[in-house]
Amino acid sequence: MNNPIISVNNLSVEYVTGIKSVQAVHNVSFEINSGEIFGLVGESGSGKSTVVQAMMRILPPPALISKGNVFINNEDIMAASEADIINFRWKKISIVMQSALNALNPVLSVREQIHDVLKIHKGLIGIEADNRAKELLSLVDIEYNRLDSFPHQLSGGMKQRIVIAIALAIMPPIIIMDEPTTALDVIVEREIISKVIELRKKLDFTILFITHDLNLLLEFADRLAIMKDGEVVELDEVKNIQKGGKHPYTKKLIGSIPSASGVRQKGLLTKPDKLTFPKDPILEVKDLEKVFQSSNIFNKQKLIAVNGVSFKIFKGEIIGLVGESGSGKSTIAKLVTRLMRPSAGSIYLNGQNKKVTESRNVPLEYRKTVQMVFQDPFGSLNSIHTVYHHLARPLFRHKLKDQTEMFPYIVHLLEKVGLTPGDKFAKKFPHEMSGGERQRVAIARALSLDPQIIVADEPTSMLDVSIRMDVLEIFAKMRKENNLTVLFITHDLASARYLADRIIVLKNGAIVEENASEKLIQSPKKEYTKQLVTAASPGWLSSLGENFEKKEEYNDQ
Amino acid sequence: MNKSILYIARRFGFYLIAAFAALTLNFIIPRLMPGDPASIIFARFKGKLKPEAIDAMRESFGLTNDPIITQYASYLKGILQGDLGISIAYFPEPVSEIIGGGLIWTIFLAGSSMVIAFLIGTTLGVIIAWNRTGKLDTILPPALAFFGAFPYFWLAMVVLYIFGFSMNWFPIGRAFGNEVNPGLNTPYLLSVLYHAFLPALTLVFVSLGGWMLSMRNTMISTLGSDYITFANAKGIPSRLIMLRYAARNAILPNLTGFGMALGFMLSGALLTEMIFSYPGQGFLLLQAVQSQDYPLMQGIFMTITLAVLGANWLVDIAILFFDPRTRR
Amino acid sequence: MNNKNNLQQNSIFTRWVSGIIENQKAFSGSCIILFFALVAIFVPFFINSPTDFLGTPLSPPSFEYIFGTNGQGQDVFAQTICGARQTLFVGFSAGILVVIIGALIGGIAGFYGGRIDDILSLLINVFLVMPGLPLMVILASWLPPTPGTLLGVLVLTGWAWNARIIRSQMMTFRNRDFVSAAIISGESNIRIIVVEIMPRMLSLLASAFIGASIYAIGAQVGLEFLGLGDISTVTWGTNLYWASNDLALLTESWWTFVPTGLSIAIVSFALTLINFGIDEVSNPRLISERIWRNKVPKELINHGITPVTSQNE
Repeated sequence: MNNPIISVNNLSVEYVTGIKSVQAVHNVSFEINSGEIFGLVGESGSGKSTVVQAMMRILPPPALISKGNVFINNEDIMAASEADIINFRWKKISIVMQSALNALNPVLSVREQIHDVLKIHKGLIGIEADNRAKELLSLVDIEYNRLDSFPHQLSGGMKQRIVIAIALAIMPPIIIMDEPTTALDVIVEREIISKVIELRKKLDFTILFITHDLNLLLEFADRLAIMKDGEVVELDEVKNIQKGGKHPYTKKLIGSIPSASGVRQKGLLTKPDKLTFPKDPILEVKDLEKVFQSSNIFNKQKLIAVNGVSFKIFKGEIIGLVGESGSGKSTIAKLVTRLMRPSAGSIYLNGQNKKVTESRNVPLEYRKTVQMVFQDPFGSLNSIHTVYHHLARPLFRHKLKDQTEMFPYIVHLLEKVGLTPGDKFAKKFPHEMSGGERQRVAIARALSLDPQIIVADEPTSMLDVSIRMDVLEIFAKMRKENNLTVLFITHDLASARYLADRIIVLKNGAIVEENASEKLIQSPKKEYTKQLVTAASPGWLSSLGENFEKKEEYNDQ
Repeated sequence: MNKSILYIARRFGFYLIAAFAALTLNFIIPRLMPGDPASIIFARFKGKLKPEAIDAMRESFGLTNDPIITQYASYLKGILQGDLGISIAYFPEPVSEIIGGGLIWTIFLAGSSMVIAFLIGTTLGVIIAWNRTGKLDTILPPALAFFGAFPYFWLAMVVLYIFGFSMNWFPIGRAFGNEVNPGLNTPYLLSVLYHAFLPALTLVFVSLGGWMLSMRNTMISTLGSDYITFANAKGIPSRLIMLRYAARNAILPNLTGFGMALGFMLSGALLTEMIFSYPGQGFLLLQAVQSQDYPLMQGIFMTITLAVLGANWLVDIAILFFDPRTRR
Repeated sequence: MNNKNNLQQNSIFTRWVSGIIENQKAFSGSCIILFFALVAIFVPFFINSPTDFLGTPLSPPSFEYIFGTNGQGQDVFAQTICGARQTLFVGFSAGILVVIIGALIGGIAGFYGGRIDDILSLLINVFLVMPGLPLMVILASWLPPTPGTLLGVLVLTGWAWNARIIRSQMMTFRNRDFVSAAIISGESNIRIIVVEIMPRMLSLLASAFIGASIYAIGAQVGLEFLGLGDISTVTWGTNLYWASNDLALLTESWWTFVPTGLSIAIVSFALTLINFGIDEVSNPRLISERIWRNKVPKELINHGITPVTSQNE
């Protein structure tokens, strides 16, 4: 290797929170060459963000760097003086932080935040700084009149671009990008990443890119390191990792990513032997509409979240409701589960028109028939109650089981969703389990009433990539065994492709396109669906019309 | 900018409602008492007051035989004309004139000591949250909390006892000395400051700890936010991070708290005035209580409520200035 | 169920309680309160009657009367101890009532939202901006001077602050998924509020109770000091009323007001300490850094720069 611009050797970081410190990063080493795009991949808690923040020594208390050294441009960061460190930050290396949405100071305008950096590092003030700020905004495709905006007036994508503009402000040779697009919708994410890659071509800097999304990095990184539990488990060139990698964890990660394009992988999820549905739908919604209105007399604001949506679901079917944030998909979930009252339209269950009421007047019968699984497994379980309480309450309330039957039935339920031994899990509290286990409990709770329909609102998006397919498999299996009907709500076209029989694409509260999953993926009719499919497929970077080098297909085992 | 005006107007609307509620409460309370208020007054003051004074008081409460709605209407009309009734203790002086003289002193004493306490407390909060290795952070919060635990008026008694009666360093009453002529002249202003010093000192001391502590706590959670880490990464000098990034954000909830606490703090100021015989609303209130001068009490309640509502409105405007999120 | 007991062992609730007990500030505060409560309950049986004329009025502390006598020739020591009874009882009762009313109104406003919230929060905000003391004075001067009056006046002027805090916390809980999940499983709203949400607010409710008690003790003493309580009973407030009435300052008889004032301050301070403790337990950020600062050598701590303990091993 030629002379590396960054070299990290045996870096270890601890968090001092109690008598015993928590080791967050352990003996991490890697080198990055000048001009390279280096990727760092890991699930939440793997320590990837800790590594980069330790490299810049910006980790806030209670962190402590206990071992190792970091050379940037042959300068030892760990031995540098305070003045050296302040001086080296942003001049030598800048960072686009994870959750960049919160990285901007809420009370300073965009102008002030860009000026701060220019003034400190370049001594630019007044009109000179303004000119530079305008230049930077045009680099990231933002109109310069946004300079006087405050962060709360900008959309997520805009904030992200402004943070990137700040990172470019004084043209450091290295830019760290820590999950720069995680909070954004897939299409915006793709736009921003292609912008970054375009800028790199123009301005020539080294990128250290951190993400949980291996798929994304395979598109454009040169080399990458995979982290797990604070350690690097694999470090290799992208083309070798695309072939499946050496470490079992890498293999698992690669294998757990469904693709929204190409030939359908076989055997990823359980499917019934044959798919036949009855003639009459079990659930039908007609012209559903939900308008949110602020009741303030001074400014009436109207937000149409759901605008005339109609669809049918048949017994034993899995429907994928796919859309980006703001598409109204979660509102539809709340309307169908009657957590919210629709502004107009009707809901038919088994052919009966269910009168539209406030959620507190919904009859128990409806509750028993339609259950829901939420996105955030920590938020949907009450931390003061045990797993047993969560599963027993619905059964008590609906008088389905008596005292003696309760415990064995709950143990049985837990084992059905893969939590064995069930009697041990029944006694646990939510904080004593992992995210995946918690989500399984939430699914078991939804199943406990033996409902006919389950509405699953992004049930895997808060879970680690490597366990997502296992959780989806529970739904697939329950459908095959119990003829369960599932309304699967997701932003991820690829997972909808594999779980759902039919996909409905939503945008701005209305249905864009509806078709059988495979048909919709293979031959999308509407422009928006095409964009979504492209953005979720490998090779999207080259398909954006820029002349990027095309990477080889990797997902065709 | 349009939205700012709307915000100010909306807050004003709220304070109008609050003022109206206070007016109504003021009207209702005497009528809610067990038995007929007219006879309560009669029973309490029989023999103590001249019959014409009792009649005047009845009249100032609008306690006629008219239906209650008519009474309410004429009560509101009277208030709008600045008619707060006739005082009993100072019979036959109208309440509005008695109050008028004291209001300015209360606003001066309570207002300035609250602002001083807020400024010092907030600054200390920033410093101890920032410098948490220092001894200051371990000593100051409990020490000031201890001062904060004393009843305002009791601390005022002790301070007055020590510095006023025992040592004779400070005056033991009034807002300015006999020897000066009120007006814009140095001896007068110095005398005013001299007389206000002890009461203001006790007010500042008792309320300091609360501001310091809440600023410290919001500052600590602000220091944990992403934009502080990002500012560090940007190489921004730590002094600038402390003031422009952390304190600038942390002060916002405290400003809201300042508005909310105004009414509460003012109560302490009133009690302190009583101890120092400081000629403000508190001192008047004490006299009103001692002579059971209901019209005066209710007049004081009304004026103080209006003053607090006005001050709250000013705080809202200050928040508008500090927090861009309210502007649009 | 037979395993009910092990179920509770690791709950957030029990961890919270043991956190409070282990917290130095909360523990010492509780000890002080307990001491005052026990003294107030039992000691009056063994000492002079606080209302009897015993010795020369305004005699300074001596062996016979360790806190001296007041202007009525009564034993200040006995007055201080007996005064704690009603003051603490009314104070803590008002604290409990304020929290209950605050939880009820704030909880309902936050949970139901919409019109109900509009009306209730208007009510809360109006009471919040109204200055407490003048309102209390008016109410107390019209009503007969009984402990019940005091209690009512304290609750009426004190509930709004807690209602506001509880409302805003309720609103954040209302939109949490675990509440939606409970609704979907068919639970009634009352049960959701009481069983699912209120226990989550435990530390808020506890510190609200303590804050309300501090307020109630202070306000009550203030009202009685103005002569608006029943001046024939012995409370900390009336002690101070008589001290001021007997011209304690002019006669320089400091012992008539210092013991009572110090007692009030110590009780309030102890309550504040408990609240510090609750704060630290429920918001670990406030102390987590302290552990870090104790472990990291002082010379390595710099603002905004992560410390490095060992280099180039």
